Amino acid sequence: MSEDPENVEKMEGDSAKPDRMFTLKKWNAVAMWSWDVECDTCAICRVQVMDACLRCQAESKRDFYGKQDCVVVWGECNHSFHYCCMSLWVKQNNRCPLCQQEWSIQRMGK
Amino acid sequence: MKSLNNIVIKNFKGLPKMPETFFNDGWKKLKIGVQAIYTSQPLEQSFEELYRIVENLCTYNHGRFLYVNLYETTEIHLKSELLPSISKEIDFLGTMNYAWVTFCRQINTIKNIFLYLDRTYVLDNHCLLSIWYMSLSLFKENIVLNGFLRPKLIDGLLYLIYQERQGVVVDKNLLKSLISMLTTLQVYDMIFEVPFLHATEILYKTEGENLIQNYHIVKYLQHVDQRLKEEHVRVINYLNSYTGITLKDVLVHQLLTPHLKTILSTGVSELLEKNILNETGLLYKLVGLFPSGRNELCTAFSEYLKKRGRLIVIDPENDKNMIQDLIDFKDKVDVIVSECFENNFKYSEAVRESFKFFINQRHNKPSELLAKFVDGKMRSKDLSEDEIEDILQKVMILFRFVQGKDVFEAFYKRDMAKRLLVGKSTSQDAENSMISKLKSECGGGFTSRLEGMFKDITVSQGINSAFRQHLNHVYSAGDGSKNLNIDMCVNVLTSSYWPNYPSYDVNLPQEMALYQNIFLKFYMASHSGRKLIWQPNLGHCIVKVEFTCGKKELQVSLFQTIVLLLFNNNNEIPYKDIQEAINLEGNELQRTLQSLACGKSRVLQKTPKGKDITDTDFFNFNDDFTDKLFRVKINQVQMKETVEEQRATEESVIQDRQFQIDAAIVRIMKQKKTLTHNLLITELYEMLDIPVKPADLKKRIEQLIDRDYIERDHNNSTIYKYIA
Repeated sequence: MSEDPENVEKMEGDSAKPDRMFTLKKWNAVAMWSWDVECDTCAICRVQVMDACLRCQAESKRDFYGKQDCVVVWGECNHSFHYCCMSLWVKQNNRCPLCQQEWSIQRMGK
Repeated sequence: MKSLNNIVIKNFKGLPKMPETFFNDGWKKLKIGVQAIYTSQPLEQSFEELYRIVENLCTYNHGRFLYVNLYETTEIHLKSELLPSISKEIDFLGTMNYAWVTFCRQINTIKNIFLYLDRTYVLDNHCLLSIWYMSLSLFKENIVLNGFLRPKLIDGLLYLIYQERQGVVVDKNLLKSLISMLTTLQVYDMIFEVPFLHATEILYKTEGENLIQNYHIVKYLQHVDQRLKEEHVRVINYLNSYTGITLKDVLVHQLLTPHLKTILSTGVSELLEKNILNETGLLYKLVGLFPSGRNELCTAFSEYLKKRGRLIVIDPENDKNMIQDLIDFKDKVDVIVSECFENNFKYSEAVRESFKFFINQRHNKPSELLAKFVDGKMRSKDLSEDEIEDILQKVMILFRFVQGKDVFEAFYKRDMAKRLLVGKSTSQDAENSMISKLKSECGGGFTSRLEGMFKDITVSQGINSAFRQHLNHVYSAGDGSKNLNIDMCVNVLTSSYWPNYPSYDVNLPQEMALYQNIFLKFYMASHSGRKLIWQPNLGHCIVKVEFTCGKKELQVSLFQTIVLLLFNNNNEIPYKDIQEAINLEGNELQRTLQSLACGKSRVLQKTPKGKDITDTDFFNFNDDFTDKLFRVKINQVQMKETVEEQRATEESVIQDRQFQIDAAIVRIMKQKKTLTHNLLITELYEMLDIPVKPADLKKRIEQLIDRDYIERDHNNSTIYKYIA
């Protein structure tokens, strides 16, 4: 991060030539985000991890698009599921449904 | 014994005898009196004396003779005096009426003289009529029902009525009096009503047949209404009230029912087309007079709607105006239903049904156009909040009729995405209002993505202000004002909510790539587990530039921007070099260059000149560019893309539908276990609110059989079984 300002400065220096015709003033960029997962469906509920899990959809939680409740969770094995699906799953069986490794959370989406 | 009081009791000498002539004398006097009354001569004796005579005669049991004699005298009077005098007259009806009125007055007097007879003898003999009724009955038998007078009387009455119907002024009092005579004599039903109704029937039968051909529908209806009113007045004026009902029936059956077909088949569509409200209302009122009328009118009404509506929908030439036309049509029809049809529920139902029918005459297109129509209105700057709200309400009404709401959603989403990303939406309130309308119509599932899109935009605004602070904070150490001359904001969108856009991997200028990276790091710091895919095709920029004519700001797309920025280092660049430098796919690059060098605002110049871009072209900066405005928007060349976009949207809808069909099949089969092909298809059509062809359904069934969800019965291949 620390080298970025220098870079910017250098670039600005380069482009500040007097014969420069076009200058970018404002930039409205667009990006799509999605969960950084290897498999885009949740193996437990078979719904895309980008969407809310079946249970949340059925309950049609007023705020389910807020993703507060239906985030993604990654295990140490790097498999990913809906957090809701997984928390129900581990109550029965504390193993990853895909690779049978002991389940422990590596990180959670937010 | 002393006889103090000699009281002798003698026998009666005999009763005092009435003189033999007592009755005859009495009657003689009475007869003279009665005859004098009938002939309107002065009386020899006073009423008082006559009354006494009657009283005396009755007291002495001569009641019977009195009654019989009075009867005879009256009969003779009627037969030999009244009858010939009436028959001779030219003004027959007038004389008849005069005779009747006079006779009534006369017998009223006679009745008073003979009151004692009425009170004693007649009262004791129940089978006898009172003097009043006896006289009336004699009048009836001898005058009214006289073989010669009766037809003359009836024909006369009917002729008078005929004349009045033709518009001649006639003596209504005469009619009234004579007809009330018939009623009093209790022969109204028997000798008058039947011929009257018959004459009415014949008259209006011919009239109806005549006028329906010669009159315009409007005039005909007015005429019928006029006739009905006239006959109503006639009943009030001089007919018996109970005739009114039958009379109305006769009219309806002669003037309306036989011509209903003609009226409904040609007339209705004309009335409706020309929006003639009064007569349409009148027609509704008239057909209400007979049982099936309203239903038949309703059928004709819905046929008209279907025919007319279909014309709006079916013509591809009219696509541009279809929705506005439909809204106008709906408005017009609503007014008709409320103004003319009393908001009859059946008629509103017919409207709904007809709209549903004709709107879906063309699959998907109305849905698509509806979405685009809303888009147009949302972008429009000249509509007030109220106007937009009003339009949205009307759009929703149409939306309810449309099958294939998924098509609407797909197109609406695409258009809304554009509005949101470009900031083209005029009113946030209107957008919200539309979403909440869709939500209440189709449920939260339908709009969750659309709502998510809004949320993304709001969230992005927060992210951007945080990002700006972040930039200021981190980079203010150096010469901040110099470093931060690009105002970058990013809309971070949730990929599952938004339409799918093609992704491009273009080379950004170093400066921009740097900004992009700073943002990426900033974003990831607060949102772990996510990845960002940049959508350069959706980005847009403002670029400052100095021409000979002065400073300008160009409003351009990201692609246009990166092409323009290349010219900072070179004055003339060949096509190939541009492509190499920014690595943009050929078609897209050509469109971009075309917009810059061949469009309305030519910031670049192309050699050789021409409309199309080829690999061998050269481009250079157009120093002489001029424009009235300071900020110039350079439109993208978009035509082709829109067609492709449209196809892509349609395709994605069709894809989604397959899942819907599959789900419906499985749901039905799971419930029914076994079902024949035809029944399954029927159930499917009931469950699916989207236009599908039977062939498509078949294909999906086959698919499910292949995937072992259902199987064919071994014995009967038209029966499907669910595999649990």
